[in-house]
Amino acid sequence: MSEENIIEIHNLKKNYDKGNIKALNGIDLKIKRGEFISIMGPSGSGKSTLLNMIGALDRAEEGSIKVADIDLMEKTDLSEFRSQEIGFVFQMHNLIPNLTVLENVEIPMYEGKLNSEQMRERALELLEAVGLREKAETNPTKLSGGERQRVAIARALVNHPSIILADEPTGALDSKTGDIILKLLKDLHNKEHVTLVMVTHEPYVAKMADRILNVFDGKIKSSS
Amino acid sequence: MLMVKNPFRNKTRAILAIIGISIGIATIVALGMVTGGLQNSTQNTLKAGSAEISVTKIGSGSFGSSGGTLDESLVEDLKNISGVKDTAGILRVNANISTTSGGGFGPMGGLYLSGISRNKLNMVGIDSINGSFYTENDSKEIIIGKTAAGNLNKTVGSTINIYGTDFKVTGIFETGNFIQDGGAYVSLSTLQNLTSNQDKVSSIAVKVDPDANSSQVSQSIQNAYPNDLSATTAADQANRINQSLGAIDTASWAISLLAIIIGGVGVINTMIMSVYERTREIGVLKAVGWKNKRILGMILGESIVLTLVAAVVGVIMGIIAVEIILNFMPSSDSFTPLLTLDTLLKAFAVAFLVGVIGGLYPAYRASRLAPTEALRYE
Ligand SMILES: Nc1ncnc2c1ncn2[C@@H]1O[C@H](COP(=O)(O)OP(=O)(O)OP(=O)(O)O)[C@@H](O)[C@H]1O
Ligand SMILES: [Mg+2]
Repeated sequence: MSEENIIEIHNLKKNYDKGNIKALNGIDLKIKRGEFISIMGPSGSGKSTLLNMIGALDRAEEGSIKVADIDLMEKTDLSEFRSQEIGFVFQMHNLIPNLTVLENVEIPMYEGKLNSEQMRERALELLEAVGLREKAETNPTKLSGGERQRVAIARALVNHPSIILADEPTGALDSKTGDIILKLLKDLHNKEHVTLVMVTHEPYVAKMADRILNVFDGKIKSSS
Repeated sequence: MLMVKNPFRNKTRAILAIIGISIGIATIVALGMVTGGLQNSTQNTLKAGSAEISVTKIGSGSFGSSGGTLDESLVEDLKNISGVKDTAGILRVNANISTTSGGGFGPMGGLYLSGISRNKLNMVGIDSINGSFYTENDSKEIIIGKTAAGNLNKTVGSTINIYGTDFKVTGIFETGNFIQDGGAYVSLSTLQNLTSNQDKVSSIAVKVDPDANSSQVSQSIQNAYPNDLSATTAADQANRINQSLGAIDTASWAISLLAIIIGGVGVINTMIMSVYERTREIGVLKAVGWKNKRILGMILGESIVLTLVAAVVGVIMGIIAVEIILNFMPSSDSFTPLLTLDTLLKAFAVAFLVGVIGGLYPAYRASRLAPTEALRYE
């Protein structure tokens, strides 16, 4: 695997429903370290499935997939990989409602080696970066949709991942709030040199990326 | 953090689960307090200095107030049996008393009154007193047990009217035995004269030599008077009481088992619902890198937190229940329930076990959720 490519996928296939649904039907893809990629495509084409494969949330049936030098077809304990290399941002923020904003951001660090003092410090650092430090002790249910998504971004970044996987991060937000989130993601991408892979339905959002992938029926149709 | 916060997210469900388990725990605690109290007082019966053997007329109960009487001459005769160190004649009656002031009632409408020589009181476990002992020779003096004093509202210096005669309370004693402390003592001759039982006793307390075996001595007494006397050792009596305590103890274990099963089912149900509702959240925890083990531990921990809270509630409920029940029982003052460390440990152990048993399956299910499925869950 070359130093350049953080993600290398070859002929990746993923079926659901006992093979009746070919969610991924032979994906070939290379993504360079630090790249910003947008993924577009119709509903049901396999965009989320592709992100889930990269994030090791599920295993493919066929093909090869290497992420950050780890062979995901071979590795047995994927939770460690997820906690160290990947930060997920979902369409729905998926925060835990009965924990404070700060505690939500600390959650990925439980598997790490930091003590509670250091965890708190790191979480506050990221809340500062997304402009929500003063909301640290607030309950997420009291935040607006955009604020919640910013907390989710802080949570995704807290373990210094090499890749951020964002599945329609602005899909549930109005366009003005969505723009703030996009700008935040782009700034963080520039500053932290993380690789950013983002699924979106909006062409103007996709254009912000270095490269746009079009997924159709479980295959990559074009890349520009 | 999650383990402490999560169990109470759905308050109604948590409260229902806690009530279910805590009722079981309360029952365990209440029964434990009763057995603990009874055990405590039987242990006090066997205290040093008291007589080891009680001799009664054959066919009458060991506390023989209703049974037949014995000739007082036997009290001296028994001293000739080898191994016997000392003997004391005791006359027991259930006296009707009329209280001069207030409307207080005695236990069961009467007072458990015994006559014994003043210098033999140590053989029934009374060796110290608040006030002074009665004098011999037909004195109209009486000493009463602490609980009897409380029931009758008497203090040192008060008078008690028994069979039409006024007795002066000279002292109040406490042995720790609830039967003793609910009774009263006067000199033997006084009671004999009062009840026209001259030269009669209802039982004879026998103290054995330090190096003699009390069951052997007890046997020799029965052999010497095969048609007249029955002898019981204090150890026998304690055994008999311990047997009934054992029955309560068995019941308590059976209830514990029932509590574990019922509570366990309740906790499984509560935790499965809670895991089911949080499917998406568990997906997120997996997405951010939580290991299956940590998720298992979290759910199991939540279940144990729930049952331990139930244990605290149950212990308090049990104590309150015993207090309330005893308050409605007229003769209850003579019995003090005792919450032992054993009972407390048992209550918490049962709760912990319910938490583990009830939490295991839901925790396993949560830890095995496929992350992609969990995240798709609406
Ligand atoms: N866990 C699953 N079980 C069964 N079928 C699934 C599962 N996940 C995805 N699929 C199916 O696989 C196909 C690809 O789904 P995927 O979620 O990747 O689409 P998508 O491109 O993200 O669509 P959308 O734009 O609507 O989010 C769909 O037909 C979907 O129904
Ligand atoms: Mg999708």
